Amino acid sequence: MDNSRSNIPSISPAAVVVTAVFLLVSIIGVNWFTTFVPLVLPPQASAESKSVDELFYILMIIGGVVFFLIQGMLLISVLFFRARDGDLGDGPTYHGNPLLEIVWTIIPALVIVFLAVVSYNIWTQNSEPKAAVNMIDGEETKIKVTGARYAWTHTYETNRLDADGDPIVINSGDKLHTYIGQNVDLELRTQDVIHSYWVPAMRVKQDLLPGNPDFGGRPTDIRFTPIRVEGAAYPAEYPIVCAELCGDGHGRMRGTVVVHEDESQFLAQFFEPAIYAILNPPADPVLRGEIVIQEYICNSCHTLDSLEWSSRTGPSLNGIAERAGERVAGQSAEEYIAISVWNAPAFVVPGYTEQMAVFGPDQTDANHMTAEELYSIVAFLCTQGEQSDCDLENLTEAIPQAIKTAFGLEVDISFGQDDAEASQPEAAADGSDESEADSESD
Amino acid sequence: MATIAVPLGAQEQGQAAEAVQRPALSEYLRWSVDHKIIGVQYGVASFLFFLIGGAMAMGIRLELWTPDLDLMVSGAAYNSLFTFHGTIMIFLFIIPMWAAVGNFVVPLQLGAKDMAFPWLNAFAFWLIPPAAVVVLLGYFVSPAEAGWTSYPPLSTLFSGDGQTLWALGAHLLGISSIMGSINFIVTILNMRPPQMTLWRMPLLCWAVLATSIIAVMATPFLAGALTLLLLDRVAGTTFFDAAGGGDVLLWQNIFWFYSHPAVYIMVLPGMGVLSEVLSVHSRKPVFGYRMVGLSSMGIAFVGFTVWAHHMFTSLQPELRIPFMITTMIIAVPTGIKMFSWLGTIWGGKIHFTSAMLFGLGFMSMFVIGGITGVMLAALPFDIHVHDTYFVVSHFHFVLFGGSVFAIYAALYHWFPKVTGRMMNERLGRIHFAFTYFGFLFTFFPMHIVGMLGMPRRVAVYVPEFQPWNQLISFSAFVLGFSTFIVIYNVIKSYYHGPIAGANPWRALTLEWATTSPPPVTNFVDDPIPFEDPYGYGTEAAAAYVEAVEAAFSPGGSAARTER
Repeated sequence: MDNSRSNIPSISPAAVVVTAVFLLVSIIGVNWFTTFVPLVLPPQASAESKSVDELFYILMIIGGVVFFLIQGMLLISVLFFRARDGDLGDGPTYHGNPLLEIVWTIIPALVIVFLAVVSYNIWTQNSEPKAAVNMIDGEETKIKVTGARYAWTHTYETNRLDADGDPIVINSGDKLHTYIGQNVDLELRTQDVIHSYWVPAMRVKQDLLPGNPDFGGRPTDIRFTPIRVEGAAYPAEYPIVCAELCGDGHGRMRGTVVVHEDESQFLAQFFEPAIYAILNPPADPVLRGEIVIQEYICNSCHTLDSLEWSSRTGPSLNGIAERAGERVAGQSAEEYIAISVWNAPAFVVPGYTEQMAVFGPDQTDANHMTAEELYSIVAFLCTQGEQSDCDLENLTEAIPQAIKTAFGLEVDISFGQDDAEASQPEAAADGSDESEADSESD
Repeated sequence: MATIAVPLGAQEQGQAAEAVQRPALSEYLRWSVDHKIIGVQYGVASFLFFLIGGAMAMGIRLELWTPDLDLMVSGAAYNSLFTFHGTIMIFLFIIPMWAAVGNFVVPLQLGAKDMAFPWLNAFAFWLIPPAAVVVLLGYFVSPAEAGWTSYPPLSTLFSGDGQTLWALGAHLLGISSIMGSINFIVTILNMRPPQMTLWRMPLLCWAVLATSIIAVMATPFLAGALTLLLLDRVAGTTFFDAAGGGDVLLWQNIFWFYSHPAVYIMVLPGMGVLSEVLSVHSRKPVFGYRMVGLSSMGIAFVGFTVWAHHMFTSLQPELRIPFMITTMIIAVPTGIKMFSWLGTIWGGKIHFTSAMLFGLGFMSMFVIGGITGVMLAALPFDIHVHDTYFVVSHFHFVLFGGSVFAIYAALYHWFPKVTGRMMNERLGRIHFAFTYFGFLFTFFPMHIVGMLGMPRRVAVYVPEFQPWNQLISFSAFVLGFSTFIVIYNVIKSYYHGPIAGANPWRALTLEWATTSPPPVTNFVDDPIPFEDPYGYGTEAAAAYVEAVEAAFSPGGSAARTER
């Protein structure tokens, strides 16, 4: 088409004035609007959150100006350029304005360049590995996160040694303990599907990717540094959320970041008590079992009121000891529970499907569980119920006997120190870091 | 008026206009190679899928009314609900719906008698019903529950047979899409009348051309990804299984290499519709015609370079920056379109027809999707809102605020041409009001819950978000209700609407230079297009509109042409 332009001036002064007024009004409006920004974002609990939120402010201001400019021009058009009733005439034959078209190509392009530079700077600053990470008691430690459907497990590979000279590993379940100023650097691994570790208050998110266990899996990293939040009570808690669809219980797959006020509080309230508990395991198998069972991901599927578990994918464990003895004729309650834990597919409770993983003594298995741990878990579960079918007076003999009957294994119930920390469900997925993992799980 | 050429055979058409009958409804239920019949078949079929997908959206919002799982029996049941919602809306509603608009309008705008390959055209449509049966049957046999994105290993090692059916159905729909697109490309490039150069082609044709090029280039990648997925599922391969040496990111790369351009497959035709509607109903030429046409091509091209922004939280950190930059660049051609449309209506004589209202609604809503698109491209901010309700909001602003509003604009604009009768404008305005506000209050608050910490695809959420979710759900029900208004309007207008005549909007493009509905061959003789498809405001244009009206008015034309 030969763009036969009419004799309308290139850019009308009125349009320039209107645009200028709108820009002014929208800048003022957006500035006012950004005062509400803290209401739509979680608390700023990490150093990274500050710069991310600054970027958000910039995006809001630019986006707000564009928003008000376009909606405003639409509104003006709607109000002032209506055809009067019965007016069947046409508007001006105005095919375009090269100058204006160049302007509205160049300006957005410049804005894009500006945004790209700002984003790039913030990104490199936030994603850069930091020097002293996961400092605990003056030394760097390794903190690993395992995602499994549908629970998070955090483990600390500490520099403390147990009686055998092996490094102690703390399992803090779905809680990540940290303190203000600690450069947190987590190594993320998944046991099954893709998960995504998101801490909204820290503005960080990273997917967990399945990798080949023979080559050490496919660890990914997530880094943040907690900062003080004005007005927060410490230790402060922030949710961890799974952001990548992982199946039935995706929405329930949550955890908590516990930020202690400083390192001494962290040591006193979390670290030292955890080390102490590992070095001094309770002799009572029931008490031991209560600790051990929480190191596995049973809570992702089962309900157990005494531990505040509320998942409904699998059958409830409330009162399991009352029912265990009646499930299979000729089988003791201890045997039934032991088999249900180590070889879950053997019994599927009516109304449920076969979903539970097989736990067992095989160290190369992702769900490695020693016979000693099984012993204590069975002991704990035997106490769940008013009238237990188990031989409560005589658990120390009944359970090893049951394990021997079911699996043909002898159980060492002397509680050697070495089995206390052999509880990492991700042992087999570690691969490249086997040197440490091996020594702890023998 | 030497430049004005009214389609030949106009003298006889005074009578022919009365003689052209609407096709019997039974015509639509059987194999036909007439592009007008096929267009309506596409339209009605995809609208039925829109209703199914919309009902599923209502189910989703009902479940999210409370923080707990209550409507659904399990999280998995909820997962399959949104999986089917997404799959149906994308593959069975929006993409075929644009095939409907393109099929009906493009050959008419080109003055052609039919598409280049009529039989292929019909075949492409008739692949859709069996594909839909395959996909939907999956809902009844351990349904797919890995989302429409179907990331392995969730979709391979952890899913039931419905996932296999999902992949097979998507395969068939991809084949249909490729065949339809080849047809559009050949038709647009070869079947224009000699007077219509590429630079005189209506902008809808430009948009459909750009869309078809994307579909032909990108859809084979979807086919490749689906084939690998199927092999992993049924043949024991390990393309996506890390334990067998595969890579889960391989799927994400191939899938998004199709599925990001697919966003433009879904929205570019809407942009073409908008250029038509805004120009006609504000009685002004499209501002910067060439740049609007070229920006479609620009979006199509750049759209192939941005796929990995969907993987900002899984891709290796050092690879993320380039995709941030390419993604932001898309804002430039999109901005050109937006500003050109504003330039089009600015200073015009706007008629607030229902079609125009939805066109203006598109601009008003799509700009929000564009702004959040740039926000999501900004990598550090995206890390926070990736896979949250912020993203859900963003793509609904693009695909509902964009595509669906444009689909409604196209419906109100071309319904008279399809059926020969006008839609009810009052009902149209009510429909617009319900849709616009229902949509805005459904999807705008999702930005906020997303930023506050609600991930997408969850059936349960923390109780703090309940007030937001109830607002969203309530608005969603309003939005759902609005659909019944347009259904009622279509049925009522089909039987009782005022007779439209050939050119009710007094437009200059060729589809209006024939009877409504057009005869089987579209035009009695080869039509000659007006020199400028959007040349409103000139005497020549006014005379052309007069001549068209005179030629196709019942009862002869002598008196009118004298004026």
